[in-house]
Amino acid sequence: MKDLKYLKYFEDLLEDTGNDLVRKAEAEGDIALGYTCFHAPEVLMDLPGCFSLRLRAPHTNSMEMATYYMANNSCEYARALLERALEGNFAFLHGIVGVDVCEANNRCMENMGILKIQGADKEKFFISNLDVPYSDDEDCVEHFEEQVSRKILKPLRDNYGIDTSDAAIRRAVAEHNEICRVISELGDFRKLLNPPITGYEFHVLTLATYTCPKCLILKKLRETLEEVRSRRPDPNKKYRARVLVVGSEIDDPGLIKLIEDTGALVVADRFCFGSVPGRQEIPLNDDEDALTQVCRYNLQSTQCPRQCAAHRVQNRYDTVERLAREYSADGAIYEQIKFCTYWSYERAMAGYIMPREYGIHVLSVDRPYIVGQSGQLRTRIQAFIESLEIKKINEEKGERAQ
Amino acid sequence: MTYDPKTGKGLGRFYDADHRALKYREWRGAKDTFYDYARWMKLYGFMAAELGPYAPQMARAMLRYRWMVPYLTAANMMDRHTIGQSGKDLRYSHKQFYSVLHHSVIKVKEILQRDENLNPGSERARKLRENTVMFDEMTPSLIMMGFPTLDWIDIAMMAVGMPSEVDQNSCMYYIDAIEHFGLAPDVCPEPATECGVAVVDDYAKVGKCYVTSSMPCDGAVQQTALMSRYLKGVSIFQITPPQRINEPQVQEYAVKNLKKAIRFIEDEMGVKWDWDAFWKNAAMYNQMAECMIEKWDVNSTDYPQVCGAALALQREFEFMGAACLDEYMLKTDREVTKMMHKGYEYDLAHGTNKPKYRCIVWACPAHYYTNFANWADLCWGVKCVNDMEAMLSYLPITVGDQEQALRDLARCYERMMMRSHTNGGYVNLLDELWKMCDRFNVNIVIMYDHVSCRNVGGLHGLFEDEARSRGIHLIWVPHDVMDPRTVSRREMRDAFNKYMVNVFREEPLDPTLLDYEDALAW
Repeated sequence: MKDLKYLKYFEDLLEDTGNDLVRKAEAEGDIALGYTCFHAPEVLMDLPGCFSLRLRAPHTNSMEMATYYMANNSCEYARALLERALEGNFAFLHGIVGVDVCEANNRCMENMGILKIQGADKEKFFISNLDVPYSDDEDCVEHFEEQVSRKILKPLRDNYGIDTSDAAIRRAVAEHNEICRVISELGDFRKLLNPPITGYEFHVLTLATYTCPKCLILKKLRETLEEVRSRRPDPNKKYRARVLVVGSEIDDPGLIKLIEDTGALVVADRFCFGSVPGRQEIPLNDDEDALTQVCRYNLQSTQCPRQCAAHRVQNRYDTVERLAREYSADGAIYEQIKFCTYWSYERAMAGYIMPREYGIHVLSVDRPYIVGQSGQLRTRIQAFIESLEIKKINEEKGERAQ
Repeated sequence: MTYDPKTGKGLGRFYDADHRALKYREWRGAKDTFYDYARWMKLYGFMAAELGPYAPQMARAMLRYRWMVPYLTAANMMDRHTIGQSGKDLRYSHKQFYSVLHHSVIKVKEILQRDENLNPGSERARKLRENTVMFDEMTPSLIMMGFPTLDWIDIAMMAVGMPSEVDQNSCMYYIDAIEHFGLAPDVCPEPATECGVAVVDDYAKVGKCYVTSSMPCDGAVQQTALMSRYLKGVSIFQITPPQRINEPQVQEYAVKNLKKAIRFIEDEMGVKWDWDAFWKNAAMYNQMAECMIEKWDVNSTDYPQVCGAALALQREFEFMGAACLDEYMLKTDREVTKMMHKGYEYDLAHGTNKPKYRCIVWACPAHYYTNFANWADLCWGVKCVNDMEAMLSYLPITVGDQEQALRDLARCYERMMMRSHTNGGYVNLLDELWKMCDRFNVNIVIMYDHVSCRNVGGLHGLFEDEARSRGIHLIWVPHDVMDPRTVSRREMRDAFNKYMVNVFREEPLDPTLLDYEDALAW
């Protein structure tokens, strides 16, 4: 296929957390709010006058300082962020919205707070740590709303004079939904037998929406959507198997590239920093506060294994099954960043349950934060793709024999 | 003095690399040896009296459940914690540990009485099960204070928690089972072992419904997901206290969550919450907490009395295992508190038993080496005057005011074992340590470095920085909670030895305890 016109542009934006667009938005007077987890409602950090940035640490190498502060058994994502923060790379942020959802992220935020990672000119800087409930009933929604009001909206209002009214939230949701529509439409092309967009390209575009001020990339995203609509895929499908990637956060498009280099096509992304959840429109009605609805939506749409009430566990398996069906995936790759406790368990259980109860073939792997050119991982994925091909051949043979 | 420099004989000679049991019984003088032997007989006598009538089930249990076998070595657990002790220390330890084992034996009996696997087709067992609520190990059963007509059994405590403290080798099989199932080996082995027991179907079927929780850490949260599948067909409720427990704003949610748990038990078991029973049991809880505080107060002085595991493990079990609902434990608390005051008065008057070094223990301990602090005392004269694990919820439950009592009960859950420090932000773990160092007048902290714990590990550098600035010795002792293959008892001792030799330039009180092999020991 012909390269997407803006692919290089978006790839370049992912090279640094404080990229050109972030600097531009700040120069125009907007405030930058870092966050790390879906549980912190992104849309509330995109109120008029501020913008959200899901924190990454691209090209991470040494994490020695962070390893001293957090020990070497902590999640590499959390350590990489702390390392970046200690190096001064997040000094441009005006605030960080953390969550007390997993131990590593929580401690990462606490270390950042104690070690004062904010810029010298950021006297109104705040770090908050949301107490996120473990389920999604109305008591949980109420509790979560209190947390969000006190720990996100109040400092935004008090420290920076941000308008946190119902109208402002509705406006932010509308802009958020616009981005979601574009990304969803782009993602839907992957349902086609021969999609005009690769998993890697889609991940780069999705990732850009998490890590840049949305209003500054919307135009180019729309143009990219138009381009994909009329893009002609290669006449013969090039991939050997269609896979769905499920698991903990992937903010390194290199991982998707590595998977696709083995001959797979990543047709659906059910991981943190991916499009499910995160790039679905937030439905709002006029009968209830927008804030309450946003909080409820957030709790009910999370796919984090932290929520382990039976109906939430079931919801996660069903979601993977639905995505596999809708996107005609031949198998699912369950991945986790090493030392992620939640996904360690989820991965082990899914590795047992999905093939047996849902008939979905699963590869279960753990991986470092920055994959690079991991030969070990590549070999495992190659073997999985081969196994999917063999299964398909055997199935076809079986059908012919019948 | 347990080491004789003339003969070179010390306590290390009791251990044998090729045997599980201690090589000899210790001679502590006629009076103390007789006392020790009498307590040993008392424990086995009690076990025989309680479990003897269920000999067929016990025999079946030994064959059916791998975790049941370690209970036979319960007396060795007492031996491990009393080695080198005499006089009042010996008596404190015996009484404290006996109360723990007393409760465990009764719970084992209850399992034998009602387990479906051991009593197939038994109508009596079925009726007992219909009246029993099952709990997860990390979910305190305190809520049962308001359900006096119901029985409850902490199925994971009896299958995992207690056996792991009785026999260091008891969890390995289950850890291997869950890792074979696909769980990453880098997660905490505690919930992993609980999951391993489920994977090999080794839980006793003893109740009608199951109450679990999100406590105290990420691993425990995930263990719930696996247990929910394992216990298919059994109704399950997950208590989910808030994380940021220091914030007053989260308490309303905590109470609502607890009320839901109460409603769940009412609905499942067909009984109503009984406030009268609750008030009575809350009063008992308060008395136990008072005894605990009294022990703390005495241990803050120059003459600490009930120390090490005798202090911590008993409180831990009293709260987590027995939910402060065991009258025998309260009786023991009163007896030991009385003895302790007497012992303190004696030491104060005579200026005896002043520790050479004082320390507190912080972070999650190794289940497989509960007597580590005793060893540190015997080998180096470092006396553990308190332990983070004992510093769980100790504030009283308000008696008579229903709403306030539920808030207090919710607080008990929020501040249960480990969680009181590992949740709610760094202030509860990091800052609290320095407060406790001041309160107990210590400048040494045995810092358990649980190699799979991301929670405490996440503050590693800040602990180091702060300790250095305060002149406090943090002695990091690595371990892997339930799996001595990762870090053995010997390696734990070695880490401590190195600090004492290299930093303190200290000589051991008993050189035979410096290095010995006990990988096989219970």
